[in-house]
Amino acid sequence: MKAASFDYHAPQTLEAAVALLQQFDREGVDAKVLAGGQSLMPMLNMRVARPQVLIDLGRVPGLDYIRAEGDTIAIGAMTSKRSAEDSALLKDRQPLFHAATRLVGHRQIRNRGTVGGSFAHADPSAEYPAVALVQNVQMKAQGPDGVRLITATDFFVTYMTTCLETAEVLTEVRLPALPPGTGWSIQEFTKRDGDLALAGVVATLRRVKGLCEDVRICAFGVNATAVRLPAAEAALQGRPPTTESFARAAALAGESVQEPINDVHASPDYRRQLVKVLTGRCLAEAAARAT
Amino acid sequence: MAAELPRLPEQLPTSKVRYVGKEVKRVEDPALVSGTTEFIDNLTLPNMLHCAILRSPHPHARIVKVDASAAEAMEGVVAVLTPEDVKRWANAVVTSPPGWGTHCLAIDKALFVGEPVAAVAATSRHLAEDACELIEVEYEILPSVGTATAALEADAPVLWEEHGTNIIQQRTYSWGEVDRVFAEADHVVTNSFRWNRCGANPTETFGCVCQWDLTDNSLTCHGAYQVPGFWGLARSMSLNLPANKVKVISHPQGGAFGGKGGARGTDIAALLSRKAGGLPVKYIEDRMEYLLAGASQSWDRHYDASLALKADGTITGFKVKLLDDQGATTETYATISVAKPLAAFTGNYRIEAAQYDTTLVVTNRAPAAPYRGYGPPPHFLVLENLVDMAARKLAMDPAELRRINYIRPEQFPYTIPSGNEYDSGNYEAVLDKVLRLADYAALRKEQAAARAAGRLVGISVANTVEPGVFDWNAYATVGVQGVGVPEGARVSVDILGNITVVVGFNLQGQGQFTVAAQVVADYFGADMNSVKVTMASTDLAPPHFGQGGSRLGVAITGAVLGACQKLEADFRRLVAHLMGGVPVEQIELMDGRFRMKANPTVGMSLAEVAGVMLGRSDLLPPGMEPNPTATSVWTAPGRNMPDDQGRCRSYLTAANAAHVVMVEVDRQTGRTEILKYFIVDDCGTRLNPATVEGQIQGAVAQGVGAALLEEYVYDAQANPLVTTFVDYLMPTIHEVPITQRDFVVTPSPVTPLGAKGCGEGAIHTTPAAVICAINDALAPLGIEVTETPASPMRVWKLLQQAGAAG
Amino acid sequence: MTAKQHTTVTVNGRVYQRDVEPRLTLADFLRHELHLGGTHVGCEHGVCGACTVLINGRAAHSCLTLAVQADGAEVTTVEGLKNRETGQLHPIQQAFVDAHGLQCGFCTPGFLMTTLELLRDNPEPSDEEIKEALGGNLCRCTGYESIMASVQLAARRLRESGGV
Repeated sequence: MKAASFDYHAPQTLEAAVALLQQFDREGVDAKVLAGGQSLMPMLNMRVARPQVLIDLGRVPGLDYIRAEGDTIAIGAMTSKRSAEDSALLKDRQPLFHAATRLVGHRQIRNRGTVGGSFAHADPSAEYPAVALVQNVQMKAQGPDGVRLITATDFFVTYMTTCLETAEVLTEVRLPALPPGTGWSIQEFTKRDGDLALAGVVATLRRVKGLCEDVRICAFGVNATAVRLPAAEAALQGRPPTTESFARAAALAGESVQEPINDVHASPDYRRQLVKVLTGRCLAEAAARAT
Repeated sequence: MAAELPRLPEQLPTSKVRYVGKEVKRVEDPALVSGTTEFIDNLTLPNMLHCAILRSPHPHARIVKVDASAAEAMEGVVAVLTPEDVKRWANAVVTSPPGWGTHCLAIDKALFVGEPVAAVAATSRHLAEDACELIEVEYEILPSVGTATAALEADAPVLWEEHGTNIIQQRTYSWGEVDRVFAEADHVVTNSFRWNRCGANPTETFGCVCQWDLTDNSLTCHGAYQVPGFWGLARSMSLNLPANKVKVISHPQGGAFGGKGGARGTDIAALLSRKAGGLPVKYIEDRMEYLLAGASQSWDRHYDASLALKADGTITGFKVKLLDDQGATTETYATISVAKPLAAFTGNYRIEAAQYDTTLVVTNRAPAAPYRGYGPPPHFLVLENLVDMAARKLAMDPAELRRINYIRPEQFPYTIPSGNEYDSGNYEAVLDKVLRLADYAALRKEQAAARAAGRLVGISVANTVEPGVFDWNAYATVGVQGVGVPEGARVSVDILGNITVVVGFNLQGQGQFTVAAQVVADYFGADMNSVKVTMASTDLAPPHFGQGGSRLGVAITGAVLGACQKLEADFRRLVAHLMGGVPVEQIELMDGRFRMKANPTVGMSLAEVAGVMLGRSDLLPPGMEPNPTATSVWTAPGRNMPDDQGRCRSYLTAANAAHVVMVEVDRQTGRTEILKYFIVDDCGTRLNPATVEGQIQGAVAQGVGAALLEEYVYDAQANPLVTTFVDYLMPTIHEVPITQRDFVVTPSPVTPLGAKGCGEGAIHTTPAAVICAINDALAPLGIEVTETPASPMRVWKLLQQAGAAG
Repeated sequence: MTAKQHTTVTVNGRVYQRDVEPRLTLADFLRHELHLGGTHVGCEHGVCGACTVLINGRAAHSCLTLAVQADGAEVTTVEGLKNRETGQLHPIQQAFVDAHGLQCGFCTPGFLMTTLELLRDNPEPSDEEIKEALGGNLCRCTGYESIMASVQLAARRLRESGGV
């Protein structure tokens, strides 16, 4: 399993990277960005991805950071998931994102894989996009026309596809603070520890005067992108945090999934069941964490 | 063989056994942990080329045209092998039964996705793969057969025109009065089971480096070969070479478990070397190739089975109907996995009558391959499940139902209805020990409490006989010829007294070199680390087979002991002569010294004797050669030809084990968690306990994988849907339970040192133990798992159908 | 034909400079360019972990890393574990031998490197922490029990002798 040939560039600046992408786009040359490589390299080795050019962001300085900017935590796109996992700042201020990070693959994958890479790769079973949709994470991208901020809902378009233009590079993800007292949970179902999720759910909610407020539920691994589950959210919104309420919301969550993915590991019905079960568990856990 | 070999370690000529039966460190480990062991991909020969294979993307297609011109013209490409070349230069492989093997490249038709159609030798693997993409193949797609049941339909496409049928073989064996016992039974339990394909997947895939010598038309193959001599013979037949012109050099393998394969890869690399003017060609099968078309897939089975019982729980009859999907060809001898169950057909039980109705078919799935256990693991899943069903029907504890049906210790050697003879065993002792280890009564209490709380907790007690030390006669029913599997060892002592052992096989993880060193060291009172064990290539090796059928620990022990005995006899004769011509019987070997029985202080060390033999020809008795070397080839005693119902003494030893497993099934997701796992096994004398324990725990991991995780899935047209390790789920450290283990030792009365074959071990029992435990958990709901793996989705579907899903 | 890239990699403390094709993986580079064959290839898609090396001290699948990505990096392979002067096995290697943490040995170098990273970060790991660290290394032979024992033994010996 040896990759097909490609040309390789390792630009030393972000501007150079963007310029290269723009140039190849104009020339009709298929160029792909290389970040940590943990998703791209298997595809290259299997020859299911055959870009003519790889543009390695590994030499671009200034993309590896985790910092607080007021209430927001900004993570440079080339930050390794290992760094995210080890970050006390993230664990403290962004526990949901931190927990999602720990679910990704296994140690070797997290050591090399980058935060930005996961976002840009947009795998349907990835955890980060679901967290992004629930927390209104914003993506910063740099292209020939400058820098722009992209909302999560705009960013994830479909299966393995983001709204990034061909010559745009994802440079940062910006995590707004969870409102004080927010309870959170991420639960996923895998056959083995570390596998891609057959289904997963992310939930956040707050408890205000004993009722569930600002309920956000997002499923991943069941459709082409992570999907919010508004029917389930509405069912719990304003309700007391009881097993019955959770069960009702969870049932709706399962039912509301549209045309779930069908593959060798899980049928559509089973994915619906998993969404139902995981939603129930998520809501209970989020409610327990909410203060 | 001269004298009888020692039956127990205590019978070795040593006052204190230092190595045999002890947990000694392995001689191969320092190199392995240093990364210096020469696995096949670590071999580089001068001017070596690299092979890549172009494979059929279709499950069934006529090959209309192969145009290799663009590939041949590519820079870096030295040779391209086409079906025309193979048709001209090679033969179809020999199979059992005969006539169901193909050439290494598809000639007229591709019969499965992944079948090799052409191959390239280039200066790098990268370039070879690039070149494969330039080969143009025109296919005419044919309708395909995706399942065994489809293969049997009247209007099914016939895959092998020359046979005119998709049925390779259909045979029913009847042993004892089966019809009568079923007619007279008080209870009959019946069930159907589906075992889906799983397979070996050693961490190292197959690889070889082949070099064709055009000057004398000979071939040298280096490779990850499990059975070197047999391999060379098979290659000589497929490549039209005299058998003594094929030299096989086996490299240490990164695991094999029966599923290493490589026949096509070897033939392809060899023919590329021939076409490339004799340059060596390396072929390393990558993981996707292995999963798709290597020796990776086993046991694709549909079972219907029943058990006949009397009212008191005595099992009187066992009937099995098996439909086995061999895939497109029988090239990798997976047919044997249908025959092997005869060696232990009725397991631990005194069942008087049995029937085995077998249908082997071809489909357009990949050719099936051997895998550890080689057939009995699914068979025992069927048997043990039926026993549990009977227990539930009779409201008996499953352990007690088994107990009353066990073959009794005094009944050994015991001939089972299918003809094999079990050497020894104490099944009740093993059962009692595992029930004690597990605190079975407490487990059942724990289960009751869990059930009261609505949890699906299950417990199983499963036991099997693990046949060891195979013989060819076990497989006669699928066309394998011959009786007797040889294993030779050449032991020599040099002029300074250092001992070297030469064998015909290489290592794959079970540590046989260490076993050989242990035996020799204890025999001659030597330091184990001073004994050198090494492999000879097939042109130099004594007759051998290598690993397989849980034989090699026993076989190599027998060979080494036999050679040591011959050496001992020669040395005693020399010493007797040197001591003035005393009768040979007055000289004994003890603790590495040849001494006068009557006066033990008078004697010579091994080094002194060898020194005289090699350095003082003037002192030798007339007719004695200066040759401190002996070869002994061991083969199992007492084997015989099978009768028309396949009955014969085949596998020499019958190890056995009992497992107790506790699981919990998640009602909401169908996931099974193994909560507790207890094992007691009995494999006779444990030559190296650490090795035995390692085999057990390793086989448990594979058994858990087979029961819960691993499956090759195909669509209805025989297109594979599981093609990478993302979808073929190998157990990681998280999925394998750490088992609690103990053991019983019932030595074999028929093997050297009393050891029984144990290499395949727990894989015979684990799938049954896990599935039976799940079914115990589900029993109150009236549902059961009858298909492997018991994936979460499968189990959840059962729960849903029963209205019991959470 | 794509242009080769001049690449400088420090492996086990020694600096190597080679011109390599961009598509060459670090695994193939180590094995076939530098003839350091102790790093093994089992799947080439980042699941089995047999190819694990340390890149700048962090365990990584060398099959999922391009050699050119390792330009300027420090790589540690199994060949770097032994004491170069005395030839003595590293305590982790010795522990695997003593606790029978291997059978065929093909996955072993990968486990050794992952263990090295683990014990450097965490000299007294719990069983759960060991499992968490080793989840990306597959073994088909041992069933993992003796590997766990080997890591625990290595950890204990390293603590007693003053660290990795």
